[in-house]
Amino acid sequence: MRTRDPNKEDAVKQKAIEMLVKYGIEGFGMNRLAKESGVSVATLYIYYSDKEDLIKKIGTEIGQTFFSEMVKDFSPTMSFKEGLRKQWENRARFALKNPLKVACWEALSHSSYRDTILEESLANFKKTMWNFIENALEKKELLPISIEVFWSVAYGPLYALLRFENEGKSFGDTPFKFTKEKMDEAFELVIKALTP
Amino acid sequence: MENSTNILVFATNIRTENDKQLISKILNQKTEIRQWNIDQEDIDCVLRIESDLLSEEEIINIIDAHDFDCTPLE
Repeated sequence: MRTRDPNKEDAVKQKAIEMLVKYGIEGFGMNRLAKESGVSVATLYIYYSDKEDLIKKIGTEIGQTFFSEMVKDFSPTMSFKEGLRKQWENRARFALKNPLKVACWEALSHSSYRDTILEESLANFKKTMWNFIENALEKKELLPISIEVFWSVAYGPLYALLRFENEGKSFGDTPFKFTKEKMDEAFELVIKALTP
Repeated sequence: MENSTNILVFATNIRTENDKQLISKILNQKTEIRQWNIDQEDIDCVLRIESDLLSEEEIINIIDAHDFDCTPLE
């Protein structure tokens, strides 16, 4: 009888994430994964019923980790500024600590797997964030704007800075380091834009 | 723990949709099989079977009887 070995399973997961980032969903295959992670194809099929199952499980797990990090020390009853700052801190921390997971999540959430993995991982987080925004509107701490514009202005600058950090440089090969000062500077501008 | 079920994994040549439909009819009738699927995206068209009762050999016999190759994956 074949049984699961949790250590091996974690190593396979890690490898799968690396490969999904490197080769994309199309270029990713069970055989290749088995070879690169040093397990037999048969072992792989004990963990996952097929490629689709594997991608869904990995995507959902990253999503759940991501969203549980996002709500750490965060409450929808916080003042808008305090809550958004916590969101920035949580998102920055996760992105800096898990660049591969973030890249994999990006790849999957722009694929046909998007709906499944979001549905499984996002529901509670969505509710929390809606609460937060509704509270902020009620307390008149946030301008009434569409959700798309809100998201773009609220997080766009942060993700742009994180991308520079990821590449280690900004324009014309100027070295770039994501620092608390840079984050604070951008955050203050965002608050200025979003609050009445 | 979810590992009490015996999982058997085979390389096959169940390659086309027709092949799959044929095999589906047969495997779906076997009450000893808890769950099964074929990964036709895989080069080995991996057949994965969850069953506590059927042995590797018995499954090979079932698949062989319908003129498909079926080799246990190690």
